[in-house]
Amino acid sequence: MEKNTPLTEALFYILLSVRKPNHGYGIIQEVEKLTEGRVSLGPGTLYGAIQTMTAKGWIRIYSAETDSRKKKEYIITDLGKTVFAEEIKRLSELLHNGQLMWRPVDGNPEEPEQNSQVRNE
Amino acid sequence: MTKFHLYFDKDKETAFLNEMSQKGYAMTGFFAGFYHFDKCEPGEYIYQIDITEGLFRVSNDYREFMKDMDVEIVSLWGPWVILRKKASEGAFELYTDVESNIEHYARIKKMLKVGAVLEIACLFMEIFGAVSGVSTAWAFVFILGAILVAMLKELMRVNGILTELKGRIGTDREEIQSGRTRKISGYLAAGFLLNGVALMIPEIGADGQMAFWAGFLKGFLQTVAIVLMTAGCIFTLWRRG
Repeated sequence: MEKNTPLTEALFYILLSVRKPNHGYGIIQEVEKLTEGRVSLGPGTLYGAIQTMTAKGWIRIYSAETDSRKKKEYIITDLGKTVFAEEIKRLSELLHNGQLMWRPVDGNPEEPEQNSQVRNE
Repeated sequence: MTKFHLYFDKDKETAFLNEMSQKGYAMTGFFAGFYHFDKCEPGEYIYQIDITEGLFRVSNDYREFMKDMDVEIVSLWGPWVILRKKASEGAFELYTDVESNIEHYARIKKMLKVGAVLEIACLFMEIFGAVSGVSTAWAFVFILGAILVAMLKELMRVNGILTELKGRIGTDREEIQSGRTRKISGYLAAGFLLNGVALMIPEIGADGQMAFWAGFLKGFLQTVAIVLMTAGCIFTLWRRG
């Protein structure tokens, strides 16, 4: 299976924004709100990401309403949720191991357990 | 107002369109190097250029998506898509992270490669014609040569940008500095083009007088062309070090 993680920031936040049905403009606004303006998705970046993730089956078009005047909405799929959960697991590991930096390095610096833990991130 | 420009560098073209918009001229049409402008409020629109896989068309998906984003498709030309958005509706930048910029420039690179291969095919046909005695073919050899050099120049620039972007994967995107790699001098393309034009001047006019001036002009243009081509070669090789 193709390696899906780490997700780029854009993919991460787009997946998060389509946990409920959301349209393109709504995704951009939500990502801006969540990151306090740090991540602002350009239309080209968002369009490419939506195409890629639809092709991979991570998101799909949400067509509860058939009114064609309405903006197209997207929603995450079960596969998309699995990929997202994997990424959260990876990020939690990083965060957890990252705490080691501020923990006192007690005793023997050659102690194998601690060294290997750091090396494995 | 209509202006003529030939751009292979999509970033320079974008800058040109935005400069015109700042001056109160909004680009509304494009045909074979001719840009048509209508009057607008200074800075009313922000222009961006996308490169897509389709030729002279975009998918309905793309069209619909851009419409939802309040982005207007101004012109489709080959794989070029010229887009604009009202500046009052906020910032407009198509690609906002390193990864999607890599994809974007990789598409441009692919387009240039296909173009260069077609160019080379045409060039060989003209060289064949020229060698077998069609005198006007030499003019086309140099004009096609000029276009090819310009394309290769752009290909190297895009390659430089891609190398730089790949070194920045995972970081926040900053402004891309134009690729700092070796460049083919623009003088080379200019020299080729001028030589092609010079070769188009007929040698024998209707009377003797015409022939003298035509010959003089031809000689003059070719001398300038040779100087430009030599300068182009020197600058291209010199920067290599």
